[in-house]
Amino acid sequence: MHLLLIEDDTEAARFLVKGLRESGYSVDHAADGREGLFRATEGQFDLVITDRMLPHIDGLAIIELMRRKGLSTPVLVLSALGGVDDRVRGLKAGGDDYLTKPFAFAELLARIEALLRRRSSAPQATRLKVEDLEFDLLARRVTRAGREVELTARELKLLEFLMRRAGQVVTRTMLLEGVWDLHFDPQSNLIDVHISRLRQAIDRGSDHPLIHTVRGSGYVLRSET
Amino acid sequence: MKLDLFNTTAFRLSAGYTLLITLAVAATLVSAYKLTERLIDDEVDLIIDTELKSLEERYARSGVAGVTDEINLRIESWGRIGGVYMIADANFERIAGNLTSWPFDGMPGEAWPQFDITTIEPGRRAVHPVRAAVRALPGGDLLLVGTDISQGRRFAEKFRLATLWGIGLSALVAALAGFWFSYRLARRVDEVTRTCQRIMAGDLGSRLPLAGANDEFDSLASSVNRVLDRLQDQAGTLRATFDSTAHDLRAPLHRLRTRMDALLLHSPPLDPVVHDSIESALREVDQLQRTLGTLLQIALAESGAPLAAASAVDVGELAAELVELFEPVAGAHGVQLACEHEPKALVQGNRQLLAQLLTNLLENGLKYVPAGGRIDVAVRRLAGTVRLVVSDNGPGIAAEDRARAAQPFARFGSGKQEGSGLGLSLVAAIARLHRGRLELESNEPGLRVVVELPA
Repeated sequence: MHLLLIEDDTEAARFLVKGLRESGYSVDHAADGREGLFRATEGQFDLVITDRMLPHIDGLAIIELMRRKGLSTPVLVLSALGGVDDRVRGLKAGGDDYLTKPFAFAELLARIEALLRRRSSAPQATRLKVEDLEFDLLARRVTRAGREVELTARELKLLEFLMRRAGQVVTRTMLLEGVWDLHFDPQSNLIDVHISRLRQAIDRGSDHPLIHTVRGSGYVLRSET
Repeated sequence: MKLDLFNTTAFRLSAGYTLLITLAVAATLVSAYKLTERLIDDEVDLIIDTELKSLEERYARSGVAGVTDEINLRIESWGRIGGVYMIADANFERIAGNLTSWPFDGMPGEAWPQFDITTIEPGRRAVHPVRAAVRALPGGDLLLVGTDISQGRRFAEKFRLATLWGIGLSALVAALAGFWFSYRLARRVDEVTRTCQRIMAGDLGSRLPLAGANDEFDSLASSVNRVLDRLQDQAGTLRATFDSTAHDLRAPLHRLRTRMDALLLHSPPLDPVVHDSIESALREVDQLQRTLGTLLQIALAESGAPLAAASAVDVGELAAELVELFEPVAGAHGVQLACEHEPKALVQGNRQLLAQLLTNLLENGLKYVPAGGRIDVAVRRLAGTVRLVVSDNGPGIAAEDRARAAQPFARFGSGKQEGSGLGLSLVAAIARLHRGRLELESNEPGLRVVVELPA
């Protein structure tokens, strides 16, 4: 996977590039808006990560120009502007996700993975299946090993979110955004309690649990085999 | 707001002027009418007077017989049209003339008596008003000369009708002109009002329309527009200041965090003690960043910047969702959390900010309410407002502290609580940003937070 990072803060960029390479990505770095725009439109990238405020050409302008050229490469916007309308503006300009600085590196990795997988997933599926856990999306029915599991509407939404990203790490903020449509971080460990309830319902009595905690990052739903 | 024309100063003013114009026109026309009527009568009187004089002279020369001849001559041949003559003796018995009998009961009291005569014209009878004068002749006979004034009467009648029409029409024209004038004026004022409301709702780019008439309205509008230009400039500068402050503080925090993150990914793995202390330092960085974010949000909200990304938000549903989100955590704390809301409690607002407001109130409650306690969230629709009440039966806030509880960094009691102390200030700022208000009350016991938001 080939990523482009457009970031003018060279020190932060150095650490990000290093971390991303260690995580198995190949990364190009552009240090200002002009170079970033040139590389983004000329090169073949699977994902573009851009800072919002850049010398010469603003990050949002880069996205708009890319979209005008017909490029659908997913773009993750990094920004030191964290107001509610900044996020809206970032997504309106054609960005696919928005992350406010400072962020945990694990958060960035999880979002990169989600954006890269999103392209290949089939959202029109009517059934999701991970090992012996099945989710009938039309009937909103969940079974584990053929046995029906009773879940609330919100738990169904949470499970659907996890199952659609089976095998990927999903962070707490991603869950808050995707399942509750909340774009800020509450202080309490709200998500952990919801996940543990879901885990109770799904994994109780099973000798091979599906929902796993990833230390320092979030959760992942996957079969162990 | 709908344009209520009848309740405008312009309308009242033009209604007053319409009345004034109508009265003035009426006074002019009525006095012209009276004057004309007077003139007609005077002319008639002059003729009668002249004839009486000439008949009296004739009497002086040739007595009753002469006058009788003269009268008959005038009636039969050269008399004027509508002339009425009569000579009678002292007992009011007719001697000569074109009246069949004395028209009065004795001598008439006034100088210019009037009476009606009935004439037989071919095919019809007609009643004609007559104005006359009577003279007693030296021999005791009475001489009466009059004029048929029906023509003058008809003229006066027409004149009166024309006067009434004139008054009516001028009142109508004045009323229509006044209505048009006040409508135009009210519409221009209404445009200003609407624009101001749009601006207050956050559209700082709106400007008052200029009619191009170069009148006092245009000059007022362009003055107001200049004020708005300056306000917009200032809001822009303020926004840029916030952005660069946020950027300049977050960027080093970001570098710090990235460096520490990179340390955690270090291979070979760090000593667990070092690892743990880096993790706890990271938590501090995150807390710092959260406090910074909240402060910037409060500052931005308090700066009077317009509400971003506003849409219709159902506060009741949002409260129910957040209560559902918090319920497991509350359960883990041993606190009972319940929500009760009316349907369609709609507010024009920013969903994320309103969710943040509710989150802060719920987190606040969970921080202070001990196990076994309860927190209730209620959303009601009132006239023009949506009222959100979050009440608990925790320790509450002492009455003397309540006023400053929503100020940044306010803390009370033992001081063992965690958090930045900005929670309630952000709630107050978000409420203000939505043109609502925040009240802290005693729940006897506990705290009752009331947020009223205009619907």
